[in-house]
Amino acid sequence: MSLLAHELRLLLRHRLTVAALALLAVLTIAALAAGMAETSRQHAAIAAIPAAQAEDIAAVADYVDQSKDAGSAAYYSFHPTWDAPAPLAFAALGMRDVSPYMLRVRALGLEAQIYDGDTFNPELALPGRFDFAFVLVFLAPLFVIALFHDLVSSEREAGRQRTLDALPNGGKALWRRRTALRFALVWATLALPFTAAALIEGVALPTLLIVLDLIAAYLFFWVGIAALVGRLQWSSVANAATLAATWLVLVLVVPTLANVAINRAIPVDQGAEIALAQREAVNGAWEIPREQTMRRFYASHPQWADSPPLGTEFHYKWYLAFHQNGDASVAGRVQAYRAGLEARDAAGRALGWLLPSVGVQALLTRLAQTDLTAQLAYQDRVRAFHAQLRDFYYAYLFRDRPFGKADFARAPRFKDTPDG
Amino acid sequence: MTEAPPIHIDALTLAYGTHRVLDGLTLSVPAGSITALLGGNGAGKSTTLAALLGFAKAQSGTIAVCGVDPGRQPDLARKRIAYLPENVALYEHLTAVENADYLLALSGERQSKAAITDALAAAGLQDRAWDQRLGGFSKGMRQKVAIAVALLRQVPVLLLDEPTSGLDPRATADFNALVSAVRDRGTAVLMVTHDLLSAADVADSIAFLEGGRVAEAVPASGPDRFDIRALHARFQVGADRLAA
Amino acid sequence: MSVVRLIARDELRLMARNRVAVIAFVLLVLLTLAAVLSSWAHQRGIAELRSRHAAAAEQAFDAQPNRHPHRVVHYGTFIFRPLSPLAAFDPGVDAFTGNSMFLEGHRQNTANFGDVRQSSLLIRFGQLTPAFVLQIVAPLLLIFLGYGALARERERGTLRLLMLQGVGRGELVRGKGAALGVVALLAGLPAMIGFALIAGQPGAQIVPMLTIAGGYLAYLALWVVVILLVSAFARRSRDALLALVAIWAVTVILLPRVVPDIANAAVPLRNRLQTDVAIARDLRRMGDSHNPDDPHYAAFKQSVLDRYGVTRVEDLPLNYKGVLAMEGERLTSSLFDRYAGESFAAQARQNALVDAAGILSPAIALRSLSMAAAGTDFAGHRRFLDQAEAYRYDLVQRLNRMQATDVSYADDTATDAGADQRKRVAADNWQRMPDFRFERPDGAVLARAALPGLAILVAWLMIATGLLALATRRLGVR
Repeated sequence: MSLLAHELRLLLRHRLTVAALALLAVLTIAALAAGMAETSRQHAAIAAIPAAQAEDIAAVADYVDQSKDAGSAAYYSFHPTWDAPAPLAFAALGMRDVSPYMLRVRALGLEAQIYDGDTFNPELALPGRFDFAFVLVFLAPLFVIALFHDLVSSEREAGRQRTLDALPNGGKALWRRRTALRFALVWATLALPFTAAALIEGVALPTLLIVLDLIAAYLFFWVGIAALVGRLQWSSVANAATLAATWLVLVLVVPTLANVAINRAIPVDQGAEIALAQREAVNGAWEIPREQTMRRFYASHPQWADSPPLGTEFHYKWYLAFHQNGDASVAGRVQAYRAGLEARDAAGRALGWLLPSVGVQALLTRLAQTDLTAQLAYQDRVRAFHAQLRDFYYAYLFRDRPFGKADFARAPRFKDTPDG
Repeated sequence: MTEAPPIHIDALTLAYGTHRVLDGLTLSVPAGSITALLGGNGAGKSTTLAALLGFAKAQSGTIAVCGVDPGRQPDLARKRIAYLPENVALYEHLTAVENADYLLALSGERQSKAAITDALAAAGLQDRAWDQRLGGFSKGMRQKVAIAVALLRQVPVLLLDEPTSGLDPRATADFNALVSAVRDRGTAVLMVTHDLLSAADVADSIAFLEGGRVAEAVPASGPDRFDIRALHARFQVGADRLAA
Repeated sequence: MSVVRLIARDELRLMARNRVAVIAFVLLVLLTLAAVLSSWAHQRGIAELRSRHAAAAEQAFDAQPNRHPHRVVHYGTFIFRPLSPLAAFDPGVDAFTGNSMFLEGHRQNTANFGDVRQSSLLIRFGQLTPAFVLQIVAPLLLIFLGYGALARERERGTLRLLMLQGVGRGELVRGKGAALGVVALLAGLPAMIGFALIAGQPGAQIVPMLTIAGGYLAYLALWVVVILLVSAFARRSRDALLALVAIWAVTVILLPRVVPDIANAAVPLRNRLQTDVAIARDLRRMGDSHNPDDPHYAAFKQSVLDRYGVTRVEDLPLNYKGVLAMEGERLTSSLFDRYAGESFAAQARQNALVDAAGILSPAIALRSLSMAAAGTDFAGHRRFLDQAEAYRYDLVQRLNRMQATDVSYADDTATDAGADQRKRVAADNWQRMPDFRFERPDGAVLARAALPGLAILVAWLMIATGLLALATRRLGVR
């Protein structure tokens, strides 16, 4: 029997150890299952879009086909966009529960549409999701504490430390071996179910390896803290209390304090101001000469400038033009708003360099593409798609081409790939 | 040519900070003999054991376990030593055999279960206790397990720290017989004790430690054999002087 | 001095000599102060911002030039949800619900721009509020100070010594409980003082405030009892500490996350896309206002013509386009109400599942009590949404009625160069439109909503106290 096998037997004879590892395994598997169920719900919701969309657009097409008016087509057609969960999303759901992953847009002013949210129950979102990231960031350290707080002190308190130290392979090598064994067990309890889930979900191998390393690194941090506290030669009880307090501070207190500090240090103009300003710009168009609106529009879109002049009747090209002018009028605010969000996010992630709990969460949500960066990337794809929509409808409107039933099928379709 | 004794200490000086605990200690324990180390609290008995085990480093002098300086090569020295602390604490949720197996593994030894049970028998542990968890074992029984491990390791040096404290007279006699048997296999035994009677009973020589050096060494047999009353008086005096 | 007081005093002295305990206590107090100050500043900032935005939006609405009423229907209005004064203590879902809403005709928009989408990822670690400190941090401090209260005495053999001195088991447990209770009160006091200062403004709602104070008192008392209970049962003080930290982690951290996930899976919500498509489908089934042959609208038109005894819409004393807009709005709004009602009902079922889990975790019970009394729970948000929808409907219908009465059908259908000006209604009309005023629920309503949580907490407290009484009888028997 090898030494490690001996140590394993010794460890597994402890009820506390076995119970702790079993509980961690159950929690890990439950969290993975919950995450996978959530991403599959999201996949299903996305998969259900085409059917709903086909029905919806068919009705619009029936109506528009009577007038063949491209403007009505643009006004009444909602075009779906979606942000399918990345393969790793099941492990860290990140912002996907509070930010929309499906959004329908029209070729009207985008700034009045792009901040819309989806239906979610705020009371359920409030405490945060039960996903693998939560088990790793919040719970795993508690299990490390349970398994490591008395690594040396229990031997001392049982009176065995001297005997062990006096053995040729006792002493430091023994503690290293025991540390490594416990570490490996906790790591495997998290990593094996995770690997299985990752393979099922088709996570790319490099990503999988990074996460496995991340798990190891985070656990290593907590093992290191436990070892540092252990060096103080306090009693097992004092070690446990000190470590639990450290956990509270590092995982709960400092992030909440930092959140307050960041939100104070980096004020973000409320997004509502964009919406207010955009509405004023859009509705103001009814009060100014239409030619003024068109001049402004043609200045930025010279390709349509040769379009026939407006008559006295309502024309959708004017309507869509002032919508686009409205978007352009708040472009600066939009940039500033986005920069503010990114600055806050960057500050939060910067804290991750100091605070492993935040760092792990940040890295996991980055890899899982469920963080703010991924949200903004989705918005960018929506913006790009929206630009295509505008070009598509403008080609009919500004050339006064009729928009028939067949033309609905020619509308750009959102592609769920980053390069759109 | 005579081989150096397994335990050889010459003019050893060891201090914790400015406090000299060992001050020119000279002591040899030949193979196949038992030396009892007596002395009052703070005389340096435990430090002597710590120095032999490589836990404490000497400032000057020589210390060797079978020719190995434990201060420089503690692991090499520990390979030659079996050590029983005052309270032999083992793993309560392992059986006697499993404990022996584990401690042997930690010493880098592999032994069959048959060899282990033989050794447990030789150490005087009844066979029905072999596969019992150690939870309910007495100190004497735990010592037997530890001695069995020492027997299996076939170490040339056995260090005992207050082995008979807390044992009843019957268990003390048992233990002394066991230690004598270990000695007869050629092991050098150094035994730190307060128990004068026991020392007189089992030791080949008795050394008195005082102020970090051997104040007096007497053989336990032959013409210079000690007089137990005189020893007792000597011991009292030593203790009183220290207390004063 | 009574034995109980002696024991309590001794225990407190021991805690005071424990440097780590004192540091932890001071940190808790500092954390509470930071939470109170930052929540207060945050709440004031938000309240100010929202009222400023609301004023700007109202002013913009009132300052509209002469306009066609239907333009105004689409110009719509922005409303902002005011924050209840108690939200500084427990902001509840405020950061997760949008706080501004754009109200317009034919559409029911979502509340947008919640803080959760405007903050760094740290917001998901929790928000530093007095409620957070008392719900999550304070119990852990009590555990650290109290796990050894009885286990330590047993472990060191002083338990039997005390009993030999004639100290009764009940006296011992009551004494230890009194000491820990004093710590709990001291730990809760700064938050409560801050709470009283923040919320105790003129017009404060005393009943919900008292409910909140009572709830937190019961919660901390429950922890004191549970700590003594575990300490009485544990063989060693280390076992007591590990068991208590485990209980804390499960009830305060784990269950509040797991239960909502279960509720989410058990009661699915219809997403917005599917809702919008379904509403559009239902609208088509009801009738197509664009289609002159549509049976519903044909019948409606006939009924209007009959009411005024005319045969052509041009002869109506009202602008038929306005009448039609009112009918359309009535139909769409009834659908909005139905679908929103379904969604609210589903969310209420989800929340009921979570609330039921308060039987497993007092922290969940306390959280729902606290949010309900502060008016920052889902029900509070729904109150806002309901009032917003009622206001939207009223505003849109006023504008449609204005179109029916103040714009002539002939002008409304004309397309000549001057028609645009003739269709418009005078600007002073906009100022006469009512502004949105959020009607706060009265204190009794809030307190009543908090009662289930309070009942669960009190039941927990009674059961735990009963168990402690049983454990006390067996203390030191082994």
